[in-house]
Amino acid sequence: MRNTLVIAQAVWIETLRRKDLYVLAALLAALLLVFVSLDIFGVRSMVSYIKEIGLLMTWVFAWILVIGVSVRQLPQEEKSGTIFPLLAKPVTRAELITGKWIGALGVAVASTLVLYILLAGIVAARGGMCNVALMLEAWALHACFMAVVAAMGLLFSTRMNSDAAATLTGILSFASFALLPRVPELAGGAGSLQKTALMFVYYALPHLELFDLRQRLAHDWEAMPLEPFLMIGAYGILVSTALLALGWLAYRRKMFNRDQM
Amino acid sequence: MLSAIEIRGLKVEFRAGRKVVPALRGLDLKVAEGEVFGFIGPNGAGKTTTMHVLLGFIEAASGSAEVFGEDVRRSIARRRIGYMPENPQMYRFLTGRELLAMAGRLFGLGGSALAAKVESLVNMVGIEAAADRRIEGYSRGMMQRIALAQALVNDPDLVILDEPTGGFDPIGRIEIRRIIAGLRAAGKTVFFSSHELSEVEKVCDRVGIIARGILVASGCISQLAAPGETLEQYFVRVLA
Repeated sequence: MRNTLVIAQAVWIETLRRKDLYVLAALLAALLLVFVSLDIFGVRSMVSYIKEIGLLMTWVFAWILVIGVSVRQLPQEEKSGTIFPLLAKPVTRAELITGKWIGALGVAVASTLVLYILLAGIVAARGGMCNVALMLEAWALHACFMAVVAAMGLLFSTRMNSDAAATLTGILSFASFALLPRVPELAGGAGSLQKTALMFVYYALPHLELFDLRQRLAHDWEAMPLEPFLMIGAYGILVSTALLALGWLAYRRKMFNRDQM
Repeated sequence: MLSAIEIRGLKVEFRAGRKVVPALRGLDLKVAEGEVFGFIGPNGAGKTTTMHVLLGFIEAASGSAEVFGEDVRRSIARRRIGYMPENPQMYRFLTGRELLAMAGRLFGLGGSALAAKVESLVNMVGIEAAADRRIEGYSRGMMQRIALAQALVNDPDLVILDEPTGGFDPIGRIEIRRIIAGLRAAGKTVFFSSHELSEVEKVCDRVGIIARGILVASGCISQLAAPGETLEQYFVRVLA
């Protein structure tokens, strides 16, 4: 566990010392301020509008950040050659992958927490209220979403360069989030073979839409009951673990030869 | 005497598309504990590949490799190894001191023992003035120094150095020789590759010459070379 945390810490330090995180955050903050100050159809004072826009931007930011950080970890180590001194230490491939995953997830989760707090502050400044328990639930499930996406990014990056892994992770996570919930509707009108194929896809891909509590938060619904919340959290952990295990299987026998890099 | 390194019938193959390229063709090699062993050969002979097998970066197609009796495929085998790669690249976003502390923590060091170790290594490789600067601003020679320091952070019993003098100026080379002599005096095993045969001649107890993936000669330089013959002359004669 110690090695895993040392590797994760290196990811955190690297991300904090890179400028792209700050550029992305500043861009997001500027966009957020512009959107909440707009008065479209007289809805400026509507707190739910602010929440919806703010949460959408927080999700987009987290999605870009977690993909960007996770997919570059392993290819960057290999390309630069830093993988050699690192793997020459008593570090297993499983520890390397887990450390990178915790590192990428930690960066995304911490940044998202800041954005949730910022959003709560803006909402409070507009005279609105946020259900704290629901906000915590929304953030925790959002963290599960990022855990799955980070694990997916790492899995693809074990055998692809960072650009290819980012593209594939982006497409697959977007499809899992936005298109997968519509699959049963599509399957209803399809032939039996197509229906089987569609339902296979439906059950095989991770259901990222389960982690999305934005509507609940935007419209001030009650906090989610504990049981489904825990079940969805457990589902997120299970899917992340499965993706990391696949990543480890793809990476554990990967050969590193300086002459071939 | 126990073997620090024992390699038997090691075969390694790389795939280039559909073509299989043999890199090691049944290498046998023994390095005794406490000796300084120079591993030399022409480019593409298999020196770095052998080191990479010892460090678990590459799996052999057949044969076996052990370090202090441990199979190199197990991560525990690397507990007693320090490694400095050829043209080393370190985390550029860390300072020299942070890098050494990170390397130490990966070996289970911590607290005041780690701080003292980092300080002694910084002094040993002569980067006191740059230790708190980010590595991205280091020159090639300084990168070599920090790479050497991180290889010694665990006080390793076996030090594997791949072309250690490559980026050094003449003063730096003398310092490397001094460090290797210090490691020998401390009873450590040093396994290093180099194209600088005069350096090898100066510091090694024994040498092994590898060509086309097999060991073609191994032993003390005085026993291998004819009287009055330098290692370079012997090397050229053997490979011819």
